[in-house]
Amino acid sequence: MNPLYRRRRIVNAFNLGVSMLAVAFGLFWLAWLLWTLVDRGLGAVSLHMFTHTTPPPGSAGGLLNAIFGSFLMSALATLIGTPVGVLAGTYLAEFGSRGWLAPATRFINDILLSAPSIIIGLFIYAVYVTQTRHFSGWAGAFALSLIVIPVVLKTTENMLRLVPNSLREAAAALGAPQWKIVTMVTWRAARAGIVTGVLLAVARISGETAPLLFTALNNQFWSANMNAPMANLPVVIFQFAMSPYQDWQRLAWGGALLITLAVLALNILARVLFREKNPLR
Amino acid sequence: METTERPPIRPKFSIHNLAFFYGSFQALKPISLEIPEKKVTAIIGPSGCGKSTLLRTLNRMYELYPGQRAAGEILMDGENILDPGQDLNLLRARIGMLFQKPTPFPMSIFDNIAFGIKLYEKPSRGVLADRVEWALRKAALWNEVKDKLQQSGTGLSGGQQQRLCIARAIAVRPQVVLLDEPCSALDPISTARIEELIAELKQDYTIVMVTHNMQQAARVSDYTAYLYLGELIEFDVTDTIFLKPRHRQTEDYITGRFG
Amino acid sequence: MSSVSGTICGVDTAAESRTASRPFLPGHHKRQSLYDLLFRGATRAFASLVLALLLGILLSLVWGGWPAIRAFGWGFLASAEWNPVTERFGAVVPVYGTLVTSFIALLIGIPVSFGIALFLTELAPVWMRRPLGTAVELLAGIPSIIYGMWGLFVFAPIFAERVQPWLIEHFGSLPFAGVLFGGAPQGIGVLTAGIILAIMVIPFIASVMRDVFELVPPMLKESAYALGATTWEVMWHVVLPYTRIGAVGGILLGLGRALGETMAVTFVIGNAHRLNFSLFAPGNSIASALANEFTEAVGELHSAALIELGLILFFITYCVLALSKLLLSRLARMEGQQS
Repeated sequence: MNPLYRRRRIVNAFNLGVSMLAVAFGLFWLAWLLWTLVDRGLGAVSLHMFTHTTPPPGSAGGLLNAIFGSFLMSALATLIGTPVGVLAGTYLAEFGSRGWLAPATRFINDILLSAPSIIIGLFIYAVYVTQTRHFSGWAGAFALSLIVIPVVLKTTENMLRLVPNSLREAAAALGAPQWKIVTMVTWRAARAGIVTGVLLAVARISGETAPLLFTALNNQFWSANMNAPMANLPVVIFQFAMSPYQDWQRLAWGGALLITLAVLALNILARVLFREKNPLR
Repeated sequence: METTERPPIRPKFSIHNLAFFYGSFQALKPISLEIPEKKVTAIIGPSGCGKSTLLRTLNRMYELYPGQRAAGEILMDGENILDPGQDLNLLRARIGMLFQKPTPFPMSIFDNIAFGIKLYEKPSRGVLADRVEWALRKAALWNEVKDKLQQSGTGLSGGQQQRLCIARAIAVRPQVVLLDEPCSALDPISTARIEELIAELKQDYTIVMVTHNMQQAARVSDYTAYLYLGELIEFDVTDTIFLKPRHRQTEDYITGRFG
Repeated sequence: MSSVSGTICGVDTAAESRTASRPFLPGHHKRQSLYDLLFRGATRAFASLVLALLLGILLSLVWGGWPAIRAFGWGFLASAEWNPVTERFGAVVPVYGTLVTSFIALLIGIPVSFGIALFLTELAPVWMRRPLGTAVELLAGIPSIIYGMWGLFVFAPIFAERVQPWLIEHFGSLPFAGVLFGGAPQGIGVLTAGIILAIMVIPFIASVMRDVFELVPPMLKESAYALGATTWEVMWHVVLPYTRIGAVGGILLGLGRALGETMAVTFVIGNAHRLNFSLFAPGNSIASALANEFTEAVGELHSAALIELGLILFFITYCVLALSKLLLSRLARMEGQQS
């Protein structure tokens, strides 16, 4: 065999081997991490966790108030962020073909999409918390909504762009005004995709800790008052995991498992929905 | 399959009972034909008839995609290239290929051609430069690019890019060149130049081309195979196929009464 | 409104005949164009809101950090001091920690991600590609706090016990480089934070790289295979050069993520404001300093210094992300020309 060719084959086999090692290496850590999570988390998950509020150190308790707080703030953040994201995304896809606003917004949105979330927390702290002079559930919901907006905006724009122009033209040919074309034809055609985007955004905020640290803070007790500090899973997990108390650490693992499962479930749901319901694919 | 006369020339490929499957779908019914050496053989037929599939078995390009497999026998100079022990890289180095669209690599014009040469040889700089020039001259591109060999190959026009790809293919001195609708993305003038080139190249290479353009097949090929729904309907000298085809089906397709 | 829309969409035949006899409805038409204007205005307003958001963040950070900016000036960027008691603050330690942890993360993450992307696009059997690709994408969505907890409770102890002593023994006495591996094996520290960050960005970079590699036209790859090139050569000489810009864009996206990552780092970096070049020593990153100290900051200057750190972080990530965006859009345009 040609020696040059033999060398090339060896190089090829070696590099492909290294690539597979890389896969094994990457998956090894992730599998270990997930295993730890399940192993330690499952032991902590019980009905008790869903029916009791966070305990003082040394006594038994659950995560009820934290789960409730996370749920409430995520729901509000989604309610605030979705319309903003959808409308802004609509502008980019439907009306923004001319002028500087659309490209500039697109660029900035992509930056916000991956901007450090702790900065978002800092921003809400500066403009809301310092003005109202207290940490609050609203501040947390606002911070999370700022994370929802870019995700929803981006998917909305992308999904609307997939809608064939002939559909718009067909509606326009019937004499429909533009606002009706968009709301009754284009949005509907892209509905599955937009909902997917919203689900992905919810998945993203359910695990976010950093933006809540200086906005919602935390609350040891049950509270549904949006104008007071509010307990939430990520921050509780953070505090409990960093604490020296065994009980708290156990609860932190239980909460961590809960969050991860929720995030994975939302992600999978978004995928399944997109694959099954999207008429544009 | 019937032929009026056996090609008098030595076959480069002898295909015996070649069948091809995409998963469970059979794209080629068992096909047998002999592709003569140093001639242009055209494969024609309506879309989806298996023209490209047949072409891609000759260098086993289908192996890149799991689920695709060929059965039967393809002898290239008496050696079965479908043999599982066949080294694909060495096989492909002996068979050049051109695609529907030009595919310049993201590198300079010079490197585009040197890439293939350097896979199997270690020429000195001077020899390499000579080979590149030889290939570019062969592909009738030298005069247009000799002053910009270091520029990117993607900056050329479509016709030039396709000729660059021809130069790249013949630079490794293959025995066979496969053309998969090489002019489908080109304007008439570029097409004419490529066709001239094909006529010249057949002195040194066995050429198999797939085309959907019957005039092109009539103009440049020596032999023509007509495929329909994965079956070889007729294979013969091009003039015979176009002037007095033996099969009604072939005649209908040639005269445009097809469908 | 609904009665009018009946005529427009032509659902109601009676309405249709009415319109036929009276083709123009000036009042109706005017109302519709007003709605159009309003709708378009609303979407435009929200698009501007997103733009204003960035500006708002920037201004609020400058405003919040102003006391520190005024007090320390450019010296803030050059001082390694961080003392809430004497109220002397400098950004060197957290900035250094941020950059070094991210650098370590990329050092490990890039080759591994490249290997995974290569495997996913070229090598894996087809039945495996989709589930494995989806798994990688799902892993990219796991909340970072999970990585932090795992790092603190599982990885750090094992690292301190098994790996660090070995590193200290073998590299600790090297000239120059030895300083990186000095000190006691504590488990937590800059190196650990970097490794955890790497594990976290691997799925992220790998899935971006895979998306980018899949943009390569199959015909281009086939042309290289047709010349007799091996899988590796096709990857290295054709796919990678073709997607270079996009791959770098993906890496920068991962870098942006690593730089601003809070929770995965906060757990394991040690939170110490001491400049120490040993990778084993505890350090601090901007995000973890904020997470740890901000709510407990006493005094205006301490808070302001932390906000100024946030401003620096925002500036760095902005540059990295803007560059990545630029590169990725260049690749998209190239792709557009090709096909």
